[in-house]
Amino acid sequence: MEEPLLEIRGLAKRFAKRSRREPAPWVIQDLTFSVSEGEFLTIIGPSGAGKTTLLNIIAQIDVASGGEVRFQSQCAPIDDPKALQPGLACRIGYVTQDDHLLPWRTTLQNVLFPLTVQGRLNAETRTRAEMLIRTAGLGGFENHYPHELSGGMRKRAALIRTLVYNPPVILMDEPFGALDAQTRTQLQEDLLRLWNLGKKTIIFVTHDIAEAIALGDRTLVLSRQPSRIAGKHAITIPRPRDVRGIMTHPEFGALYQRIRAQLQ
Amino acid sequence: MTTLGGGSTIGRPDLWHRIATSLLASGDQILVLVVLVAIWQVLSMTLGSYWVGSPWGVATRFVAGIGDGTLLHQASYTVFEAAAGFVLGALPAVVLPFALRRLPIATAILDPFMVGGYGAPKLALAPLFILWFGIGIESKIVLVAVTVFFIVYFSAQAGICALDVGLVRMAQVMGATERHVARHIVFPGAVPYVFAGLRLAMPYAIGGAIIAELISANRGLGYLIQFGAMNFDTTGIFVALVATTCIVFIGNWSVNAVERRLLRWRPVSDVTLQAGT
Repeated sequence: MEEPLLEIRGLAKRFAKRSRREPAPWVIQDLTFSVSEGEFLTIIGPSGAGKTTLLNIIAQIDVASGGEVRFQSQCAPIDDPKALQPGLACRIGYVTQDDHLLPWRTTLQNVLFPLTVQGRLNAETRTRAEMLIRTAGLGGFENHYPHELSGGMRKRAALIRTLVYNPPVILMDEPFGALDAQTRTQLQEDLLRLWNLGKKTIIFVTHDIAEAIALGDRTLVLSRQPSRIAGKHAITIPRPRDVRGIMTHPEFGALYQRIRAQLQ
Repeated sequence: MTTLGGGSTIGRPDLWHRIATSLLASGDQILVLVVLVAIWQVLSMTLGSYWVGSPWGVATRFVAGIGDGTLLHQASYTVFEAAAGFVLGALPAVVLPFALRRLPIATAILDPFMVGGYGAPKLALAPLFILWFGIGIESKIVLVAVTVFFIVYFSAQAGICALDVGLVRMAQVMGATERHVARHIVFPGAVPYVFAGLRLAMPYAIGGAIIAELISANRGLGYLIQFGAMNFDTTGIFVALVATTCIVFIGNWSVNAVERRLLRWRPVSDVTLQAGT
């Protein structure tokens, strides 16, 4: 059997104690799952379920307290923040909940930022960046600063900034959470189209059941803190999917009910 | 085509609006100025121009002083002292917090001394500096530099502390090294704070130079004030004060101009709110 791209076994996490008497609670405990190459995995859970913490651990900007995290059969450090390797040498891209665009850089400069720091900025990559900006509907806004963009545009810019350096794995933390329904559907369609082009591995965290079903090949349901797997669902709705009409698909209703029951 | 035409007219009302608001604002400012001058005139008439030099007398002396070059000559010393001290104090004040960024222990050790230096009344140090550096411009430059240093140091440090950790993490995930983070994130993020400090320190620089001159000097605007006081020449004192105010205005305007250029990325409202004048 093929070795999974990312394997998480018995993962546990708790943050530093706040007072001496009571030990810190476990945010994540005994979490086990794996992700194979090219898969679009959606993770859904109630708020405070440690979803962001989980992604931070996978991206190695936070350290696990126990268990095992393997990426391409390479183990992540446990309980040793100094040994962290954020982004695993640009192999894991991360689109956070906040767009984290640099406010003093224009859209184009923000998109070129990863290429600049990786020393990969040349005529070819620059053309690709400009192409991506236009594909995402940001043409004409290249020289605008983030505060001059709408919420949806900022999300797009943040997404492109990760796509531009082509990491094989992309983590997404409720990237469309704060947007209106119309913009969100548009961005979901854009994301599926981009994913179809490159067939990247995507781990997409959301609290929206419909979004989890519409985008994913597979959905993991997390429980409340301490977070464990409450359910696993293969989404067999064939692709290409119609994000706008996903609710009318015959499989949707039953899946939605099953996931919602596990979220309680 | 019509949309293109529509796009270009959007800029117009905005421009007119801006001109109208600035005219309206300067109209109000002129009104306040007139009221202040009127109060001054009334005081001068009731107390006698011996105690309060009349606005007209000050204006004629001011123009005459500029005409024959004496006022500009004296002011040039003060401006030079303030400017040299400003640069000498501000540069290490910006560089030091950056150097100490990765050394929390060194920062913690230095902190009480910095707070002490910040809190100490620098003007009270003026006599000491005059003893050490003489009555020439050196003692004035040192006083200004010390005053400016502490103000800018704490602003720059605040700018570094206000660093958004999320931005740094993102950059690291994208492969940024420590040097990239310092150059592309920490520094640009601290620039607004540095400028807030510079704007605050600017009047102190000019004030410091003048106080040092008041205590002991044979040139500069502070000397003019002291000279006027010794000769019971209130008009002379007022002329020097008006000149000082003009210098502070020009200094403030310069800092704002540089800041607006460097901070184009900020929302307009922030910049105009801080522009002040």
